Amino acid sequence: MSQPHIFFEEVNERQGVFHRRAVLFGGVAGLGLAALGGRLAFLQLLESQRYEKLATSNQFNFKLAPAPRGIIVDRNGAVLAANRPNFRLMVARDKGVDPEATLKILAGFVPLDDIRQRRLLKDIKNAPKRSPVQVAEDMSWEQFSAINVRAPELPGVTADMGEVRVYPQGGAFAHVIGYVAKVNKEDVLAAQAAGATIDPIMLHPSFRIGKQGVEKAFDLDLRGKAGAHKVEVDANGREVREANDGDIPSVPGKVIELTLDLDVQLRAEEVFGAESGAAVVMDCRTGDILCLYSGPSFDANRFVRGLTGAEYRALAQYDHKPLFNKALTATYPPGSTFKTMVAMAALEHGYDPATVHVCSGRWSFGRIWKCDQVHGAQDLKSAIATSCDIYFYQCALAIGPDKIAETARKFGLGEIFDIGIPGQKKGLVPDTAYKKRRFPKDPKWHPGETPSMGIGQGYTNLNPLQLCVMTARIANGRKALHPRLIRSVGGVEQKSGAAWGELAVAKENLAFVREAMKAVTTVGTAARVADLGLGPIKMAGKTGTAQAYSYGSGRGVHGSAGAWVLRDHAWFVAYAPYDDPRYAISVLVEHGGFGASAAAPRAREIMRTVLLKDPEVLKRVENPVPLPDLPPELQTEDGLPDAPTPLTPTAAPPGRPA
Amino acid sequence: MTVSALTRPGERDRPIVKFSEIDWVFVLVLCLIAGAGALMLFSIAGSSWTPWAAAHAVRFGMCLVLMIALALLDLRVWFAMAYPIYGMGLLLLVAVAAVGDVRLGAQRWLTLGPLSFQPSEVMKLGIVLALARLYHGAPAERARLSWWLLIPAAMVAAPVLLVAHQPDLGTAMLIALTGLAMVVLAGLSWRVIAAGVVGVLLVAPPFVLFGMHDYQRQRVLTFLNPESDPSGSGYHILQSMIALGSGGLLGKGYGLGSQSQLNFLPEKQTDFIFATLAEEFGFVGCVSVLALYAAAIFMALRTSYVSHSHFGRLAAAGTTVTFTLYVLINGAMVMGLAPVVGVPMPMLSYGGTVMLTVMIGFGLVQSVRVHRYSEVTSGKGTFV
Repeated sequence: MSQPHIFFEEVNERQGVFHRRAVLFGGVAGLGLAALGGRLAFLQLLESQRYEKLATSNQFNFKLAPAPRGIIVDRNGAVLAANRPNFRLMVARDKGVDPEATLKILAGFVPLDDIRQRRLLKDIKNAPKRSPVQVAEDMSWEQFSAINVRAPELPGVTADMGEVRVYPQGGAFAHVIGYVAKVNKEDVLAAQAAGATIDPIMLHPSFRIGKQGVEKAFDLDLRGKAGAHKVEVDANGREVREANDGDIPSVPGKVIELTLDLDVQLRAEEVFGAESGAAVVMDCRTGDILCLYSGPSFDANRFVRGLTGAEYRALAQYDHKPLFNKALTATYPPGSTFKTMVAMAALEHGYDPATVHVCSGRWSFGRIWKCDQVHGAQDLKSAIATSCDIYFYQCALAIGPDKIAETARKFGLGEIFDIGIPGQKKGLVPDTAYKKRRFPKDPKWHPGETPSMGIGQGYTNLNPLQLCVMTARIANGRKALHPRLIRSVGGVEQKSGAAWGELAVAKENLAFVREAMKAVTTVGTAARVADLGLGPIKMAGKTGTAQAYSYGSGRGVHGSAGAWVLRDHAWFVAYAPYDDPRYAISVLVEHGGFGASAAAPRAREIMRTVLLKDPEVLKRVENPVPLPDLPPELQTEDGLPDAPTPLTPTAAPPGRPA
Repeated sequence: MTVSALTRPGERDRPIVKFSEIDWVFVLVLCLIAGAGALMLFSIAGSSWTPWAAAHAVRFGMCLVLMIALALLDLRVWFAMAYPIYGMGLLLLVAVAAVGDVRLGAQRWLTLGPLSFQPSEVMKLGIVLALARLYHGAPAERARLSWWLLIPAAMVAAPVLLVAHQPDLGTAMLIALTGLAMVVLAGLSWRVIAAGVVGVLLVAPPFVLFGMHDYQRQRVLTFLNPESDPSGSGYHILQSMIALGSGGLLGKGYGLGSQSQLNFLPEKQTDFIFATLAEEFGFVGCVSVLALYAAAIFMALRTSYVSHSHFGRLAAAGTTVTFTLYVLINGAMVMGLAPVVGVPMPMLSYGGTVMLTVMIGFGLVQSVRVHRYSEVTSGKGTFV
C-alpha cells in the first residue's frame, strides 16, 4: 500500500473547500444543538411550574365521594333513619373486559342465576364505558373479601363499601319520614325547575334522593356536601391508584330531630294493627306532634332497595291504601267531633247554653231527621255528652253556617299547617260564600244544609291533623297553637308551635266546651271506654261516627256491619289530663264503625303511653290500675249517625229560618 | 507500538492495527447513549426488561459488533459497493411502489420471505455512498458550478421523490437534506445555495397548502399552534411539552414520570423517548444526553476532517449529517419546535431499523477513520 502523504490546502482545492465547509457544518450542528439546549432551558427551567401544573391535572382526577346522609331521630334521640354499610359488587365495561366471562366467574361468589346474568350483561353493554353497573349488593363480609382477593385478576370488577339508607323502625314512620330512592328524570327536572344547578352528586350511581316526607322536604339538608376522592388516572382515564393526600372531606348531612316520640308512634302502630286509619298526638302546650301515624303502613326499606312491579302493585291496589298518609292527605267528614265547634260558635254568638231541645229520636225539618236514641230534654252540655243530633240540628240552625265556619277556622279547621313535610290536604269548612263560589248554578245556601253541618256531615271534610290541632287549641285555651313536626335541623331549633298569637275566643266559652268534653268521657258516649285507668288522670274527649256513604242511597252501612268500604268512619278526639291539659289526640279509624268502640279505646291506649312518659303526670298517678278492654256488648254507642245529608237543596222546605 | 511503526508500509493493513485505530471513545459515547435508551425503556415498561429494554440492549450489542466488523472493511470495498448499494436501493424503492405492503396508510414496507423492511432505510446509506463516490471523481470547478451538477441533483431527486410518494415525508426530507448537505460540503457555489434558499422560501407555503396529504398538512398546521386542539392532533406535541416542562431541573426521579408512566405521552418508547428522559431526569439529564450526541457528532465530523481521500471525507461527513438531522429533528419535534414527523432519536429510541442504519453508517465512519491514509482510486486516476 502507498505511503501516507502530507497535503496542503493549496495543493488540493477540494480538500480546502471541504474543510472550511465541514467546520461550517460543525458550527451549524453546534448551533442546532445549542438551540435545543436553549429550548430545554426555557421549558424545564423557566416554564416548568406551568407544565408541572398541567402534568398534575393530567395525572390526578377527583372522584366524587357522597357525604353520609344526615340521620333522622325522634325527640329523645332514638334513630328513625340511618345509614348502614353496604358491600357492593360492580362490573364496568372496558378494554380487555369480557363481561360474560366475568359474570360467570362472579357467579361463583355471589348468587347470580342465568336470567340475572343476562339482564346484567345487557345493562353493562348499555352503560357508558367504565361506568360501573351494580351486580350485587349487601354482600356478606366473606363474599366481599373473597372477591376483593380475586379482584386484581378480574379487570373491570370492583367491590367497595358504600352506605345505604336504613329505617330501623320499619313501617311505623314510613309516612312521615318517607324514603330515598335512585334519582330519576323527574327529580332532575324538578331540581332544574327549582332553579337549582344540578348537583353533580345527583349523577353518582350510589346517590339516593329523598322521595317522600322528611327525606324529600329536607333533602338538601340531609344530603350534606359531597367530598372528593383523589385518584391517579392514566391517559385512558382508568384509575391507577388512590392518592390519599388530596382527598376533599365530605360534609355529612344535617341531623334532623323530629318532635315525634318513638314509643308513642310504635304504640299507635300496635293498636291499629291491620286497621286503616290515623292517629295524631300533640303536646297542647308546645304544639309538638308526638305521634303522626297512618295505618296500615309499609316498609320503607323496600323502597330504598327498589320495589319489584308486583310488590308495588300489591301496595298500590290494596283497598286499605298503605301508601297514603291518612293523617294529612286524606280528609273525612268529622262527624260528631265537629259538635264542639258548633257549640263554641253558638256560645261565642250569644247562644244560651241552657236552651233546651227535646229529643224524641225524630225531628221534622222539611223531612224527617233522626237521632239514634231518644235523649229527651237536652241542654247544650248534655247534648255534647250524649252527642244528640236533634239538639245540634237546631243549634246549628239557630246560629247559621257562616258563624260556625268562622269559629271552626279559628281552631285550625280547613287550614294547612307548615309542619315541614308536604302532602296536607286542606279539607273544607263550608259557608255560604263557598256555596256561592262552588255551585254557581245553585249559589244559595239552603236552610236544609245547615243541620247536616251541625253534626259534621255535608260538605265538611277535615283531616286528622286538623282535628288534633282543634282539640289542642280547645285544651290549651290561650294560644292559637300550631303543630310542629321538625324540632331541629342540624341542631338549629325550629319555631315553636306555641309562638303564635292568642286564640280569639272567650275563655269561659272554652271552659264550657272543655267541661262538656269531660262529661263525654265520664257520663256520655265515651264513658268507661275512655277511662285511662291512671287514677286521678282523666281524659276529656268527643266521639264521632261519620258516615262514609249516604244510608238513604242504600249503600252506607251504619256502625260496623256490612262491607268494609261502606261502613262509617270512627273518630275520637281527646285531651288529657282534663284538669291540666297537656296532650291532645285525634284518632280516625277508617270504616271502623262507631267512634266510641273503634276509635276511643285506641285513643285511650295511645294516650296512656303518652301520659306515662311524662314524669310530672307519672308522679300524679299514685297507683296505676290498667283497665281491661271492655267486652263489645258493654260498649256505649256513639249517637246514631245522622240522617242522610240532604245535598239536594230541594229537600229543604222553603221559608224556614236558617 | 510506536508512531514510527505505523508509518511502515503494510503496517496499517494488519487487522490488529486496524482494530486499535477504531475510535474507542466514540464507541464508548455510543454505548452511553444506547445505555441511556435502555434505562428509559426499562423505566417506562414499569421497571421491566420486557418488552423493550432487553431487546434494545441486545440489538445494540449486535449492531455494535456489526459496526466494528464494518470498520475493519477496507474503504475501497465501500468505494466499490457505493453505486451497487445505491442502485439496489433505487430498485427496491421502485419495487415497493409497485408491490409493497401498505401499513398505516403508507406503502413503505417490502416483504422478502420472513423479512420485511423499508427500502428507504437502504437509501439513507446509499445516497451518502453514491454521492461520495461521484464527487470523488469530480474536480473542484465542477462541484462548484457546472452542468455536471445535474447528475448529483438527479441522484438525490430520484429516491426523494420515490420515498415522498410512499408517502414518508420524514425520510424523504432526511434523504434530501443529507444529499443537499453533501453537495454543499463538496463545494457548491454560494450563489447557487443562496438562490436555492430563496426558491425554497417561495415554494414551501404553496406546497404545504396544496401538495401534501391531509395528515401531513394537519401536522404542520397543528405544529404552528399546538394548543388550539389539545385533545386532537395537537395532543402529542402538548403532552410531550408537558412531560419536558414538568421535569424541571432535576426531573421527577427514575420511574416516577407521570406523563410517561400513565401513558399520557404517545409513542413513548419510540419517537418520544427523549420526553420520558426529560421528565424523569430533568434539564440535567437532557443536557447530559445532548452532550453525548454532540460528542458523537463532532467525533464523526472530525473523522471526515482527517480522511485523506475525498470519498472518505464525504462519506463520513454525509453519515454525520444524517445522524445530526435525526437528533435535531427529533429533538425539535419533542420540544415543540417542529411538526410531528416519524423521526426517532437514534440509539435512544426503541426500534431496530433505525439503529441498524445508523450503526452501519458509523461502521462506514470508523472505516474512514481506520483507513484515513488509504488511497482510493476511481479508475480514472488517483484523487486524494
